[in-house]
Amino acid sequence: MNRIVIVGAGVSGAHAALTILERGHDVEVWDVGREETNFPDEGVSFHDLKSRLPDPAAYFLGPDLGGLVPPTSSELLRYPPSRQFLASTEDPLWSFTSDGFSAQGSFAKGGFANGWGANALAFDENDLSGWPVSFSEMEAAYKTVYERIPVAGPRDDDLTPLLPGVHPSQPPVRLTPADERLLQTYQRRKRTLAKLGVKVGAARLAVVTDPSRRDACDYLDRCLWGCPRASIYNPRMSTLKECEAYSGFRYVRGRLVLSLLSGDGKITRIRYLDTATDQIREEPCGAVFLAAGALQTGAIFLRTLKAAQPDISAQTEGLMDTSVVRIPFVQLRGVGQPPAARSFQFNRLILGMITETALWPRYLHGELLHLTGLLYYPLIERLPFDSRLSKKLFFAIRSALGAATFFFPDRITSGNHQAITDHSGRWEKIQLRYRETEDKENYILQSVSRARSALRRLACVPRGAVRSPPGAGIHYAGTVPMGEGPKRCGPTGRSNLFSNLYIADGAAFPSLPSKSITMSLAAHATRVARSAPL
Amino acid sequence: MSEEAQLLFPLWQIDQQEYRAVCAHLGITPKAQVYDRLSAYLANAPFRFPRPEGFSLFLASPRLTRFRIARLDMVTKLFLPHHPIRHVLNGVIALHECDAEGYREMSAAPAGWAVPLSLLGWMSGFVWRLAISVPWLGLRLVGYGAGAPFRRKGELTAKRILVTGVNRGLGMDLMLHCLEQGGEVVGTVRNVQALEELKARLPAQAPVMLLIADLSRPGALVEALDKAQIPAASLAIAILNAGVKYDGESVLSLDNLRDTFQVNFFSAAELAPWLCAPATQETGAADPVALVLVSSMGRWHGMHYVCGYNASKAALSIWGESLEMELRQSGKRRFTVTIVEPGIFESGMIRRTALTRLLSVSRQDVARRIVSAALAGERALRPPVWFALLTWAVCLAGRDFRYRLFTRAKTTVDRR
Repeated sequence: MNRIVIVGAGVSGAHAALTILERGHDVEVWDVGREETNFPDEGVSFHDLKSRLPDPAAYFLGPDLGGLVPPTSSELLRYPPSRQFLASTEDPLWSFTSDGFSAQGSFAKGGFANGWGANALAFDENDLSGWPVSFSEMEAAYKTVYERIPVAGPRDDDLTPLLPGVHPSQPPVRLTPADERLLQTYQRRKRTLAKLGVKVGAARLAVVTDPSRRDACDYLDRCLWGCPRASIYNPRMSTLKECEAYSGFRYVRGRLVLSLLSGDGKITRIRYLDTATDQIREEPCGAVFLAAGALQTGAIFLRTLKAAQPDISAQTEGLMDTSVVRIPFVQLRGVGQPPAARSFQFNRLILGMITETALWPRYLHGELLHLTGLLYYPLIERLPFDSRLSKKLFFAIRSALGAATFFFPDRITSGNHQAITDHSGRWEKIQLRYRETEDKENYILQSVSRARSALRRLACVPRGAVRSPPGAGIHYAGTVPMGEGPKRCGPTGRSNLFSNLYIADGAAFPSLPSKSITMSLAAHATRVARSAPL
Repeated sequence: MSEEAQLLFPLWQIDQQEYRAVCAHLGITPKAQVYDRLSAYLANAPFRFPRPEGFSLFLASPRLTRFRIARLDMVTKLFLPHHPIRHVLNGVIALHECDAEGYREMSAAPAGWAVPLSLLGWMSGFVWRLAISVPWLGLRLVGYGAGAPFRRKGELTAKRILVTGVNRGLGMDLMLHCLEQGGEVVGTVRNVQALEELKARLPAQAPVMLLIADLSRPGALVEALDKAQIPAASLAIAILNAGVKYDGESVLSLDNLRDTFQVNFFSAAELAPWLCAPATQETGAADPVALVLVSSMGRWHGMHYVCGYNASKAALSIWGESLEMELRQSGKRRFTVTIVEPGIFESGMIRRTALTRLLSVSRQDVARRIVSAALAGERALRPPVWFALLTWAVCLAGRDFRYRLFTRAKTTVDRR
């Protein structure tokens, strides 16, 4: 019997499923499958929603204002209630505990791709050093993925040589006047910035911008609040829809896979929680592709390992996440300028920084964002004046305010792992243990200081740096990484312990580059699904 | 919400006038629907955010005027980030931002060359406000320091308090005060209707357990507590507040007299053995349990046509004192009995007139005093003191005088 089951319907699961279907096999995708409610008022911009919705406060802050960020909180944004389906740490199904790693999870159909920042980059040779896979081996998969996912971006600019494997097929997203000003300054001071290893250019984004397409971005400033047009790539709206065109495709909702049962080095059955009846059940299977996100995949693998090989310690080889540092800045030329009326809300510019170090990838990815389509009150409360002045001051300099966000790479480090520590529940809870290393701290400090210099040369005044806690990067990886040993998988994602188990998501990454991982997740899943002997 | 509607948690909530003052301070136009949302949001604040303490609490208590708001905005931003006013200002800005008109008004900003000029003006305004706020803060600190020795205790965090008759009057104020102070309340009401009405008024997150106990039925209170599986040892304070008064009924109407005694006296007498049960004595050794009996100054004298109300309160006070004597003698239990004999205060039982309003203390104030007296283990509380002294003086003057005085007073009050 060769019943192929893919666990998880995020980017990885969707692309693995489509690839297997293209190979002519039947496939089932098992998923918890939370879905969001419909978006109100298509075609209405973020600020216009305030006059169009009958109760805007309930939409933006929740009916009981539970989404109102309190003055003492460090958050600058809370997901509005309409988007809370996305992140699920409050969910009863969430089975992780934190030891220095405050993670998020998603039980949504489409996973975190329902709310991602749309940056579509590919890992290059340098990013992949340390992987048992070369860039040329990945390239074919990247090509397929860039054919499946429309990406907006320039054909050629200063960043192009740094971003091989990225193939934009759509015109770049429209820049705001603030972006234009920043880019003009960059063009003038290119040489000095090159000495700092800094390149600035339009972002490469998985967004439909070709105006002839029905789903083209109409610049509503609502990206963060859920795109009513589905212009931003979301596997739920595209890849899984493509899968549905195949008769051999089955999407099974309401299943949280807990562990796998094995015999003779093969997976034979899947143990799962039926979320509708709250019963734990088992079903036989032929081949299993784990694509539930690195944390869930690691958890399923650990429980499976513990049952099959109790003598092997029940902790993963690794646990990685990008560290996120935000540097707020004021663009001096922007003070007193009118704010952009409508725009694409996420970053429209990227700032790449080259560092030649032996320990980390050459390319450090930064995103330059000017504020649009936000509720500003948490920022107003953060200003160091009384509310009366802060409010006036904020709106006077709003169009000049921005933030540069940097994503710091990670690598497998002993001590950072998932482990089974709690056996009390109906299924084992997984602890996420994470500590920052000293060399990473130094790397971050040096890079931040270089980024500040770069911002100053771009005629911006940087102020402070906000570091998110470990786990907030949501680029989780490396829990069942490629390599040697029973707790790892081979270069094609096949588990070294179970011959019909494939690690099809970021769990298989043996290191985590700085570049946004979504396209690489899709490419990895495609490659694994292509090479699996089914 | 009507202008007169009482705020549940005055420490956190603001009334409409205060809201208008906050809007004036921020330079935005007040909006009725924003006020309602804000009020509901702030009603949940005691259960979402840390309670202000010490100096922060001292600054939070008085009413907000525009002057105070300007000072508090500055001072709390610089020194007291957890102060309730920050939640008010943050909430007002957030809610106005969600409103189309509010946002338009707030986001209107100078452009071009007007920016540096405006910045200059705003910054000098800021410096001016700072220059007033710092000495003001100094004065407040001096006031706080001077008042410190006289400040009452009120902290109830993680304490469970039983209050009977919480659906209105003093009972409700006691409940709200306990909640505001971080306590968890077990409250009793007479019937389902009262329970539903009260539930609708209380914020969803309030740690209140409401029980139905018709105290005119013998054993009802203990039965309700047992049914809800509330162990006596879990209570820090038990406040027997519920009372009944048949105005205009003769002391000879026996059924109502029995009812009055059952509610006002026997419900307390029934609860005491339950509270003093051996299990409580073993497990509850660490913290004393305070039994609070809400009696009345009327217990010192007779009163015609209140169907034995004063007699029942006399029984309650004297019984309470006797209980305390027995407990002290046995020495088994760290158990305090606080007898509260309020004189004239705003309750549902006294008609509101200009005179009573002037002379009486507010119900919220009585509630506050009762809780701190219970925490301090005080034996008696008779607010306001002038009324207690007057009552005793009247009692010394003889029955004939009392007869004439009370008949006259009662007819005046009735006529009004």
